[in-house]
Amino acid sequence: MNHISGNNPADKHLVDRVLRGDTRAFGIIIKNTENLVAQIVFKMIPVAEDRKDLAQDIYMKTFHNLAGFKFQSKLSTWIAQIAYNSCLSWIEKKKLVLPGNLHEDEEIYETTVAKVYNNIAVGSLSENLFSQKELSLILRKEIEGLPAIYQTLITLFHHESMSYEELCQITGLPEGTVKSSLFRARKMLKENLLSKYQKEAL
Amino acid sequence: MNNIHPYEKELQQYALGKSDADPKVIAHIESCSDCRAEVSMYQMLFSEIKEQPAPTFDFDLQEFVLSKLPKPQTRISTDDIIAGFLVIFTCSCIGIPLYIFRKFILNTFIDIPPIFIYSIIISTTGILIIKIISLYKKYLKQMHLLNFN
Repeated sequence: MNHISGNNPADKHLVDRVLRGDTRAFGIIIKNTENLVAQIVFKMIPVAEDRKDLAQDIYMKTFHNLAGFKFQSKLSTWIAQIAYNSCLSWIEKKKLVLPGNLHEDEEIYETTVAKVYNNIAVGSLSENLFSQKELSLILRKEIEGLPAIYQTLITLFHHESMSYEELCQITGLPEGTVKSSLFRARKMLKENLLSKYQKEAL
Repeated sequence: MNNIHPYEKELQQYALGKSDADPKVIAHIESCSDCRAEVSMYQMLFSEIKEQPAPTFDFDLQEFVLSKLPKPQTRISTDDIIAGFLVIFTCSCIGIPLYIFRKFILNTFIDIPPIFIYSIIISTTGILIIKIISLYKKYLKQMHLLNFN
């Protein structure tokens, strides 16, 4: 994951090349950061058709403002910040209402829910009675059920191993707000899992 | 053992492996099965989130964006030629009369009272400063629209 490696000379070299008119260098920047941008866009934008235009918009903004990038943060963090702000503007412009998340793999999901929660309840998590794939699916659905900002923060922090400072840069939120949002998101995720288990047991 | 269960926040911190937790809290968690179960639950969540498959765009983003970028200019365009001609023409229009009538121009300035020259310099500088400020404000507004501030 390139955004973790820091603001290295390679990034500076790439930016210089783009500013000299080498668009292939911009292609490398896209390749290095598209996973991070995808994480943000997929968590913030529920409509799949909008994501393509938005991704293009994010990188066009990046390209046109690259000369103004002062290397005060990592290049990837700066691009993630553009992605986050673009998503917010997009939501505001389109007046998007986040729909309830559809369970694509409904059948597997339903059968797995009971199995997983049973294991949690009897404290047999380490016994791996359920497959990694099933557990992963359950968790994905639960994460999708969280508010978009929580989904984004929890993914960037736990999946992309970003620091609180980076999250503050990306979202423009104070550190205290980021920390408390992450706390609430984790708690909500845990409680959602446990409450569903209780419902299943009844 | 401290019988008071730690706050949820402290359990999360412990599950994250943060070493700044209160030793009393750590001692309690290590000896309390309920708290250990809570911590295990969080640790399982964190580990599973890390293992989640990353979403990917279902199209070639690199190719898509690069095809939309403006092509780098490799030769001088007609606009550049016209602009160059206009610059040379303007410089000639100002420079040639200045050179030919330089003595008269100098005499004109000698005859003008210094207070008049100062007032011209001050008013010109003032206008220039106002223009720069308004230009900067416009720039900030545009950057704000683009969400870069």
